[in-house]
Amino acid sequence: MQIEQKLIAEINARLERQDANGGNGWASARRLAAGAFEEMGLPSRRSEAYKYTPMTKRVTEDLSLENSAGVVSAARAFDAIEGLHLSTTNGLLDSVPQDLPEGLTISSLVDAYEGNRIFVNDHLSRAFVAERDAFSSLAAAAAEDGILIHVAANVKVEQPIVIHHDSVSASGLVQPRVLVVADEGASLKLVEHFGKAGESSAFENRVAEMIVANGGSIDHVLVYERSENATFVNGLHVYQEGSSHYATNTITLGGGMVRNNLHFLPDGEECETHLNGLYIARGTQHIDNHTFVDHAKPNCESNELFKGIVADKATGVFNGKILVRQDSQKINAYQSSKSIVLDRSASIYAKPELEIYADDVRCSHGATTGELDEDAMFYLMARGIRPEKARLILLEAFARDVVDLVDQEAVKEYLYTRLHDILEAHAS
Amino acid sequence: MLTIKNLHVSIEEEGTEILKGLDLQVNAGEVHAIMGPNGSGKSTLASVLAGREDYEVTEGSVDFDGEDLLEMETDERAREGLFLAFQYPVELPGVSMSNFLKQAVNSVREHRGEEPLSAGDFLKLMKEKAALVHLDPSLKARSVNEGFSGGEKKRNEIFQLAMLDPKLAILDETDSGLDIDALRIVADGVNDLRGQNRAFVVITHYQRLLDYIEPDYVHVLVDGKIVMSGDKDLALQLEEKGYDWIKAETGQAV
Repeated sequence: MQIEQKLIAEINARLERQDANGGNGWASARRLAAGAFEEMGLPSRRSEAYKYTPMTKRVTEDLSLENSAGVVSAARAFDAIEGLHLSTTNGLLDSVPQDLPEGLTISSLVDAYEGNRIFVNDHLSRAFVAERDAFSSLAAAAAEDGILIHVAANVKVEQPIVIHHDSVSASGLVQPRVLVVADEGASLKLVEHFGKAGESSAFENRVAEMIVANGGSIDHVLVYERSENATFVNGLHVYQEGSSHYATNTITLGGGMVRNNLHFLPDGEECETHLNGLYIARGTQHIDNHTFVDHAKPNCESNELFKGIVADKATGVFNGKILVRQDSQKINAYQSSKSIVLDRSASIYAKPELEIYADDVRCSHGATTGELDEDAMFYLMARGIRPEKARLILLEAFARDVVDLVDQEAVKEYLYTRLHDILEAHAS
Repeated sequence: MLTIKNLHVSIEEEGTEILKGLDLQVNAGEVHAIMGPNGSGKSTLASVLAGREDYEVTEGSVDFDGEDLLEMETDERAREGLFLAFQYPVELPGVSMSNFLKQAVNSVREHRGEEPLSAGDFLKLMKEKAALVHLDPSLKARSVNEGFSGGEKKRNEIFQLAMLDPKLAILDETDSGLDIDALRIVADGVNDLRGQNRAFVVITHYQRLLDYIEPDYVHVLVDGKIVMSGDKDLALQLEEKGYDWIKAETGQAV
């Protein structure tokens, strides 16, 4: 518990310092999260949720909330997108954009809080449950600032909002918060890119909450490409009111150890939830996708597709839980996870979990793990195509299936190229 | 072009012998039909010639244009000019027909010392060859064989044959599952591709296909060996008298 105690002491010191300065931010929510973190502690090796992902090992003694390491910047990949471009350093906005379309607010969370405490208090921690995950609780307790994106009722922001998370500490803990709110009937598209920021070994542990009000819509794409030294815990917590639409596509190509904690609560009828993801783990990378869809209300639909390719000594983990509560009738929930293991030294742990308490539902899940299809290889080679080329064709087709679901053309094109380059090295 | 001598083949894992000393000589320009009852080894022959790994050649030799075919990998055989039209074409979700064919055609061209086709020439070639078997040119954007009807899959095999321009084409039960119209389209496509420099080995259970693709030779394969050879009339006799007749004629168990 030494590390936990040290971190909690730092969190308390921060909270006290803020109290002394008069502004206490969303202090009560942070204290709640700190309490939950203290209670849970970092997950041990016996923890079911982190059984295959020893994330706690990455929380080393020298990690501190007070991070003084210099900043490293990544090359941008999504400049070509026609949209509203934002950049961050350690998850905080470098500057607040001017001339935003009417009804769209983008600001730092602290500024938003100063401007409208009620709004921030109402929405912050609406999707996030402190007791659920120790890393998210830690981030929620520690984060002093973050980003707010808010679209007012019935406003449809056509241009995608692109966040280039291009600058990050060379090392240390980085724990920002993100709050995205689409009010009733509002819609927005969000693209996030975590580019390869040199050899930064930062541990990014974030809490992102996305709240979609009645009839609203959020489309989200996240592409993560940090170096093999980097660690990422991506806590994404989605709350949906009735007749809303939410889609995320989480593409993980980088990082030494990555855990995507993706939680969805469609808390109204006629909700549509799409959760798709792709990861390619090479070298000694370890990539874990943990998804949880909590069907709390009837007449909703969720679609889930996760695909992974592991090579070398890498590890892939998928755990997909779908909970259909007793009164949630007429739920259509589909889950599919597919993975390809390219080398004997690589491994995959996949576990679908369906917990269904309602009786009038349609739920299905399928999980496959294996090598490339031999019949498909033979067919390609029988047409004169060399085996290394045939493997590349099949791997690209496998991975592109997920990328095809991204609705931003420029993101798709970028990913097609990246997939080709990455997979080419593993096809021969 | 193809000389098979005393070919013995077993299933790799269980060791059951399927081909038990098969001999066949195919020259350029010829069309050979191989007929036989179920389980006689017809499809095994096709698979072994194309290089499928589930089989083990225990004895015999296969010479393809002066080279030892059995020493070559599947993709080398294809580049050398051997084409197998699959009985069950494989679906490749996410692999577009145009990408698939571009890779295949350019692999073969490179092997022949030819430049890769330009995008324009490639499209022209696709259009021309697709017309041979009445395939809709819009298929180029579709995934290989995915969502194709049974007839479309078989026509697609002949389309690929036309695109790759092989020396030797082996048609493995290309007629199975085809209605009479589709059969005629496939057969017309094959007949268009017949020529002095190209040979065909047509493997079929029924004589029906041979009404449309007229063979120069007909061989009857029973229990892993060719037990009778003749001209196209042999196929008609078989159709009339059934495979039991062969049994009586040759003393083979069918």
